[in-house]
Amino acid sequence: MLKEFKSTLLKVIHLRSIIGYNGLVYALKKTPLIGKILPDKLYSTMFLKVIYWVFHVIVEVFKLFIGKIAGLGLIYLFSFFLTNLYIDDGMVPGASKASLFASFALLFFMLYAVCGLLLRRSVFSWTTDKEYMVFMLRMNARKLNYTLFIYDLAKLVIGYLIAGIIGAIVGAPFWLWLGMPVLAVLIKLFGTGFQAFRLRQRRKRNKILKLNVTGKIILFTLMLMVLPLVIMLVANGYYIPLPVMLGVAGIMALLGVWGYIQCDKFDSIHHRRVLHDNIGRNEMAAYTSKPDSTKNFKKLKANGSVNENKKGFEYLNALFLKRHSAMIVAKPIVFTVIIFVIMGLIIAEFIYLYYQRFGADNCLNMVGNNILNMILFRQYEDELLPFVADSGGVFFRWLAQSHLLVMLMPIAIADNTFKSTQAMYINCDNCLMTFSFFKQREKIIKLFDIRFKQMIKIHLAPAIASGMFANLILFYTGGQDFPFQYLLSIVVCILLSVCYSLIWLAMYYLFQPFTTTVNVKSGIYNVTRIIVSCVLTVIVFIPSNTFVLTLVMLVFTAVFIFIMRKLVYKHAPKTWKVKS
Amino acid sequence: MEFVISHLVKSYGSKQVLKDVDFVFEEGRIYGLLGRNGSGKTTFFNCINSDIDINSGEFYFRDEGGEKTPVMPEDIGYLVSTPTVPEFMTGREFLKFFIEVHEEIKPDKTIDEYFDYMMVPEDDRDRLLKDYSHGTKNKMQMLLNIIASPKLMLLDEPLTSLDVIIAEEMKNVIRNQKQGRITIFSTHLLDVAVDLCDEIVLLHNGRLEPIDKSNLGNADFKEKIIAALKDQDDA
Repeated sequence: MLKEFKSTLLKVIHLRSIIGYNGLVYALKKTPLIGKILPDKLYSTMFLKVIYWVFHVIVEVFKLFIGKIAGLGLIYLFSFFLTNLYIDDGMVPGASKASLFASFALLFFMLYAVCGLLLRRSVFSWTTDKEYMVFMLRMNARKLNYTLFIYDLAKLVIGYLIAGIIGAIVGAPFWLWLGMPVLAVLIKLFGTGFQAFRLRQRRKRNKILKLNVTGKIILFTLMLMVLPLVIMLVANGYYIPLPVMLGVAGIMALLGVWGYIQCDKFDSIHHRRVLHDNIGRNEMAAYTSKPDSTKNFKKLKANGSVNENKKGFEYLNALFLKRHSAMIVAKPIVFTVIIFVIMGLIIAEFIYLYYQRFGADNCLNMVGNNILNMILFRQYEDELLPFVADSGGVFFRWLAQSHLLVMLMPIAIADNTFKSTQAMYINCDNCLMTFSFFKQREKIIKLFDIRFKQMIKIHLAPAIASGMFANLILFYTGGQDFPFQYLLSIVVCILLSVCYSLIWLAMYYLFQPFTTTVNVKSGIYNVTRIIVSCVLTVIVFIPSNTFVLTLVMLVFTAVFIFIMRKLVYKHAPKTWKVKS
Repeated sequence: MEFVISHLVKSYGSKQVLKDVDFVFEEGRIYGLLGRNGSGKTTFFNCINSDIDINSGEFYFRDEGGEKTPVMPEDIGYLVSTPTVPEFMTGREFLKFFIEVHEEIKPDKTIDEYFDYMMVPEDDRDRLLKDYSHGTKNKMQMLLNIIASPKLMLLDEPLTSLDVIIAEEMKNVIRNQKQGRITIFSTHLLDVAVDLCDEIVLLHNGRLEPIDKSNLGNADFKEKIIAALKDQDDA
């Protein structure tokens, strides 16, 4: 049996080292500049493999020290510190130092062990090496999983026994030193056994044997909520007597035995099925450093249809929007709601302040008058005018009066054009680019126009909300400087939003920077993006009179749309291609 | 009508994939473009479809009077082995959209008749394309190209990984559609090429070379092609 264990373990270690080394070389070869210099021979260079292997062993030992030795060592030290504190302050009359120390150590250790159980990868989890071993090399999945499990338990026992030296130095009883590793093993057995039990139940109900990650997260969150309570109780002089702690440890030990029985019942077919049902590609994704992020764009449902009057690209766009509404429209809507909530809170604060000073009747009057003032583009009027002398109020008024370009910031936050272009590419354009009609100049510009209008509509609400927010500031801090300033502020925000959406949509059409995994693969796109971001940042600080700004923005937007459409019409057919 | 390729060259860095492709394809025939894995079949199609830029050479249509016509995107129908379809649409919605954007097409069938023609199962027609099987996605791709009716049809291993029934159905459709257009069918499977194509063209060492069609069907034919591919590879 030991021979079999050793043989399996050696195979796993060997395969892991190959995967690890090749993964490292692959990642290096994918690195810009360096990658081109590195030869393919690296994959077979024995010298480097040995260096990697030595490095790998060092990492394993380091992990052992950090995870096990440091963890339990700190628990011993913390228990020692608390015990001395309790004894010195006479908080637990009659309790012996050793029993108090053991009680604290057991409490913290059990919390630590359960957290570790929830955070660590399950025995049944999928890994690349396991997949190769089981499905390609035909290894028994149970034997493989339990070999790795025993290897883990062995590391745990060694680590905790070494950590026990720290315990011995600070006065831990001998039974605790030996008992902790055993308890740790039993807790792990319980955790694994419980998973085996749950998975067997699922198999009985003919369900997929998925590992329950959500359940683990919920339990871990609960544990995090319990921890402050424990710390608070301990800080206030409470402690759990040793016999109770030993009782709990005893129950955990019994559960560990139950877990062992459950693990034993979990046969190789179960192990294989769990592995199969949990196959993922997260490890390879980690090597390539460019994970496949298309998953978020694939949550589609055939919900309803669109107006039958829409034809061709109008029909395509309407369907696209309908099936991607949560992805595309949600962000601008949430932003708009937040702006309105903030505005509501500001108005409520004004009314409350007035109510406090002048009572309900006057307050009703004031609200009525000011609603009328708002509609007639006047200024806020009451006897408080609390923001007039307020430095914050003055600052915000100064922004709304003469630095309206600052509204680019909220507009940029609310804008969802970049993500929309990703969705357009991955779920629509990527496929249609294989058809010749889709690359025709006239058709490209037609769809571009439809999408541009769509983006304007989607971002209209947050743009208007941003303009209204600027107006609310003006309203409460002295009103508008010239007739129609309120109106023009909203117009400026809308124009800013139009230009902002146009930039990202046109850039998508001009560079088509996405790969089939929606990663950006275009140097020129990235450079342009940086330049655009810098220019927009500078623009935010430019002072401007709202009236002049409106005129400038009107002209600029018209010219900008004209130029961008021309560029798209001319260049997009050349770049409108699928990038692998 | 003929499709003429003249001295087409395509390189990736220092690697020359298409060295000097020179060939004339005739209307109404299915050409089996045969080559080993990695021989450049997909690159060749991508060049013709203007998905990648060529280094030199040209290609065009030539009518009976010898007049040259440039190849426009709408002249080409391109079927890839792993079809990508707009996953957010149902089959019916996609077909409706496709017919509407091709204003020049006057469909002679209703959408359901087209589905029937391509043997797309009824219960699939109103499902999202993302839920279609590989075979049905292939059929959809073929159907769209039939509707568009291009002058030049490029089929890049379209029968790969299809089941026997669907592969046979697709072959029949390709045969029925060959009149009035040039069909180039790339494959690395000799049996498929022999079974389906009127002419066989080898793509090897970056060049196109015709195989004498009079031998097509001879027992020795396959062995000759294999020998030719091996020889050229070793050369």
